[in-house]
Amino acid sequence: MDGSTATMNSQEPLVLAVPKGRILKEAQPLIEAAGILPELDFNDLDSRKLRFATNIPHLEIIRVRSFDVATFVAFGAAHLAIAGNDVIDEFNFAEIYTPLDLNIGHCRLSVAATKDLIASENPTRWSHVRVATKYPLTTRRHFASQGVQAECIKLNGAMELAPALGLCRRMVDLVSTGATLKANGLIEVEKIAQISSRLIVNRSAMKTRPTDTQYWIRAFSDAVENNRASAAA
Amino acid sequence: MANPPNRALLPAGLQDVLAPDAAHEAAMVEHLLGTFATWGYQRVKPPLVEFEHSLLEGAGAAMSNETFRLMDPVSQSMIGIRTDMTLQIARIAASRLKEDPRPLRLSYAGDVLRVRGSQLRPERQFVQVGGELIGAAGPAADTEVIAMAVRALRAIGLDHLSVDLTFPTLISSLYQALEIGGEQEERLRSALDSKDRNAVREALADASDAKRLFLALLEATGPAEAGLAILDNAALPQGPRKMVDHLVDVASRLRDAVPNLALTLDPVEYRGFEYHTGIGFTIYRNGTRGEIGAGGRYLAGSGFGERATEPATGFTLFLDTIIRSLRAPQAPPQVYAPYGMSLEAMEKLRADGTVVVAGLEPEDDPEADARHLGCQQIIKDGVPRNLAAEGSG
Repeated sequence: MDGSTATMNSQEPLVLAVPKGRILKEAQPLIEAAGILPELDFNDLDSRKLRFATNIPHLEIIRVRSFDVATFVAFGAAHLAIAGNDVIDEFNFAEIYTPLDLNIGHCRLSVAATKDLIASENPTRWSHVRVATKYPLTTRRHFASQGVQAECIKLNGAMELAPALGLCRRMVDLVSTGATLKANGLIEVEKIAQISSRLIVNRSAMKTRPTDTQYWIRAFSDAVENNRASAAA
Repeated sequence: MANPPNRALLPAGLQDVLAPDAAHEAAMVEHLLGTFATWGYQRVKPPLVEFEHSLLEGAGAAMSNETFRLMDPVSQSMIGIRTDMTLQIARIAASRLKEDPRPLRLSYAGDVLRVRGSQLRPERQFVQVGGELIGAAGPAADTEVIAMAVRALRAIGLDHLSVDLTFPTLISSLYQALEIGGEQEERLRSALDSKDRNAVREALADASDAKRLFLALLEATGPAEAGLAILDNAALPQGPRKMVDHLVDVASRLRDAVPNLALTLDPVEYRGFEYHTGIGFTIYRNGTRGEIGAGGRYLAGSGFGERATEPATGFTLFLDTIIRSLRAPQAPPQVYAPYGMSLEAMEKLRADGTVVVAGLEPEDDPEADARHLGCQQIIKDGVPRNLAAEGSG
């Protein structure tokens, strides 16, 4: 079966949501290997378009902010998507299945603090800590498991400034090489989770369009396997 | 200074249902219950609130965090507002109707209230409509409630329905039979919940038989046709085998009972089926966000000594989701009866179901008033006539 017959019987287009930025670059070869060729505008990062047709009839791609991908899928606005498990865990939507690790977008979600603070404090005595983060739920859960109540200050960027300027004792954010932390005098204290990107599927879509969704899970799964094989060779 | 609160603001998750939606909703409820009645389901109506200990007994405990409670000044006891009606029906069956012949078929409709809305259903108050079949254990009973729910939904115009069948206790019985526990169980559970084949492989890396089995169950998730064949061939221990055979039996009965029904299987699903003991099912509609309805097999009547527990199955339909999926109702045409028209003449028209809106004051321009009130016709010389298009007169 090829992609066109997979979606032939359904009246509505199937929507695949992909995140802008970091992950998209790594995801593009996988999307192509799965047999999806988006219209040319998709590769033009300056394009104002958010919705793109593909070579597959009834399959559309939308480009949204990485934090919004899970929300689009949870509410059924997109049926399939690529999202990091940082975002998936933060929202923890029961309406999302995460059937496939795409083995891309690797990094970690970590706690960091300034060197000076680490030298002078004893976290085992804490009952409370103030943390700057884009991930308040994950952060609260992490510190709660250590018996510490985390007061989260939600920042949307320049997280690294917050501990240095005394806004908080800790920050929680994605770390890939650690270069940004280092440049801002921060040290990675602990890792909360290993992050990679997943193919996610809306629950209703999986139930009402099982043939379509399973076809694409399999296509991406094969693409990931091929990637792994050629990396090993 | 703070602005005075706007009196139109309602607490989160609550809303005024307006015309024509309120009438549409009521008509749909009656239509659904009417279909259930033709299958022999008799309507019952439990109260809005009950003693907390009775509402939250046994299976009800799962809804404890969702329950609004208040102090009853009369009995000095805590009472809770219902979050779900199934368990109320089960209580009625086990108490006041304990001497009625089995199987007992009951239907109901009513509002429920929850402390929190869910992600997909932010409404905290919504209408449930359902049916319960109490005192019957076989696959024919499971088939009956599913077939009735689907046929009732089709009768109100919902198409593209699909039913997802599951057996919520299957996984835990497999854990027991295969002696999977502790951290491995947790990893496997989360792998199955996310439907991640590779994670299942990793969780069971050292147990090849179990791995093959759970991968087969995951593989069977999807269209029933293919799934049933996989389940038939799976090497299952005896207990789980019986569960799967029951599932297969119900699926094949359903194909005969409800032609053209899209049927899917999900043998690894258990979320949302916390108090269920046998076949569970979820009704979806292609193109509708969220579930249309859900139900399954449970034990009715826990907490009632002599008739301890009896097998039961049933379902609940979520009316807000149903209404969202239906085409907007057509308001019936209205006829304006100018001031002074005899009640008898109006009654004659109303007897045929015509909507007649009476003028209450002498009008300068009856046609303008008729238009102003949204009427399409006006009564002239005793007969309804179409209003001339605006501005043409």
